[in-house]
Amino acid sequence: MVGVAAGLAKAGFRPVVYGLAAFVPMRVLEQIKIDVCYEELPVVFVGDGAGVVYAQLGTSHQCTEDVAALRAVPNIGIVSPADRFELQYCWKHLLQSKGAGYLRFGKADGGDVHAAIPDAPVGDLLQARPGKGDWAIIATGSMVVAACRLSAALGGAPVWSAPVLHPINRAQVESIGRAFGGIFVVEEHSMAGGLGGLVAEIVAETGGCRVIRFGTRQFSEFCGDYKYLLSQHGLDDSTLLAGMTSAMAREAP
Amino acid sequence: MPESRLRSRANAFDAARLRASVLRMAFAGSTVHVGCALSIIEIVAVLYRSHLNLGDRTPRAAGRDYLVLSKGHGVMAQYACLHELGWLTDADLDRYFSNGTRMKGLSDAHVPGLEVTSGSLGHGLPVATGLALGAQRLRSGQRVFCVVGDGEMNEGAMWEALLFAGQFRLDNLVVIVDENRFQAMGPTQEVISLGSLHAKFAAFDYDVLSVDGHDEKALDAALDDLMARRNGRPKAIVAATVKGRGVSFMENNNVWHYTRLTKETFDAALAEVEGR
Repeated sequence: MVGVAAGLAKAGFRPVVYGLAAFVPMRVLEQIKIDVCYEELPVVFVGDGAGVVYAQLGTSHQCTEDVAALRAVPNIGIVSPADRFELQYCWKHLLQSKGAGYLRFGKADGGDVHAAIPDAPVGDLLQARPGKGDWAIIATGSMVVAACRLSAALGGAPVWSAPVLHPINRAQVESIGRAFGGIFVVEEHSMAGGLGGLVAEIVAETGGCRVIRFGTRQFSEFCGDYKYLLSQHGLDDSTLLAGMTSAMAREAP
Repeated sequence: MPESRLRSRANAFDAARLRASVLRMAFAGSTVHVGCALSIIEIVAVLYRSHLNLGDRTPRAAGRDYLVLSKGHGVMAQYACLHELGWLTDADLDRYFSNGTRMKGLSDAHVPGLEVTSGSLGHGLPVATGLALGAQRLRSGQRVFCVVGDGEMNEGAMWEALLFAGQFRLDNLVVIVDENRFQAMGPTQEVISLGSLHAKFAAFDYDVLSVDGHDEKALDAALDDLMARRNGRPKAIVAATVKGRGVSFMENNNVWHYTRLTKETFDAALAEVEGR
């Protein structure tokens, strides 16, 4: 499928390859790398159902490693919208790009973060909830809505959404890392190699604050619905809040 | 015939009872993929009843024959058989698809009795081929029966595995195609036409037989015939089946790939399979 898309792109078309994220990009990673990215072809990949939203269907249909896999591949953009407005913003960016891109989204349908399509340069983090304090939250995809819910209980911590993971506005991440005492990063993706890793790398390289990541760690051992699996991964509101408040207490001067 | 075989057990793996188990599971769990489980009922029934050497009849018996469900979406049919074996309880079936159980919606190797994780199509046959190669190298006498979907034959990995099995003369491998002529998104003919699978297997130098996949006697005869031929050629059965078999309103109606049972459709379906 990806090879055919690469051929179509060489022939002058602008192909979109759609699949569940568990299969696109995971199953076809080598084809994405060689056939598309190495040749810098303008193929758009859509990975639906990213994260653990295909809950009861089991490990084969869940996908918490796609961002990590594609972050290591050159020449492909990665976007991860949080709501329908960010989806349109991301889609416009993908179609305007001259290179390959990957759209990751779930089906959590957690509600809107924004009131309109964001008007921001590609790669910017978008303020999802203004706030104050010593800690900030950066989240992506389904976890932005959750982060906004938690903000008040954390003393009004500001929340940024990262709809574009690559290329991300590094200077903006760096400045958040300097402005706050700590950053919580939340994503429905493995703690290894996702947004948390990306933020930690940038902040560590530029001498910023503490970065504490929240994401998935293991395969889901048991069957369960979406809400159940989020709690198994510690991504439900109460576990996230407990983890954040204990980190804030631990790090307090 | 070894004692471990189950052919003598009266009424074991009765197709109507297996279908009823599938319906109960699907209704209790409010799950989909009913049609693709109903099409393989007779296939898995005859395998468990008459052909699989289950060793000491525990799920992980050393030296057992392998039943690899490559089309993992049909897993409820296999669960129904594991229930007949006593490897799953009534409570397990009632809790299929539920929070905190191991019984996920698609075939998962962590469930005792299931050999592969195969909700992603195109994985089971390659693994089955490796199991067959391992058995050949170990001279263990184990056979590998791999149930694949016709729609699954769209996957390139399936054809690589078929070539590999031929190259390594795996005559202990039997590929059984559940040819129900549908896949998730429509008729296989319209998605990517497979033409004659029988001719394709023959061209790959397989010993291949085509049978009615709901005729248990024909399936038994085909399996006996093929397993008697230890000639270095892998085996294949193209089993013509009906998606949703046994429930009139599900038969050849592909909405039952994704439709959940209501109380009304459950009662009606159960009445049909139980002959009431």
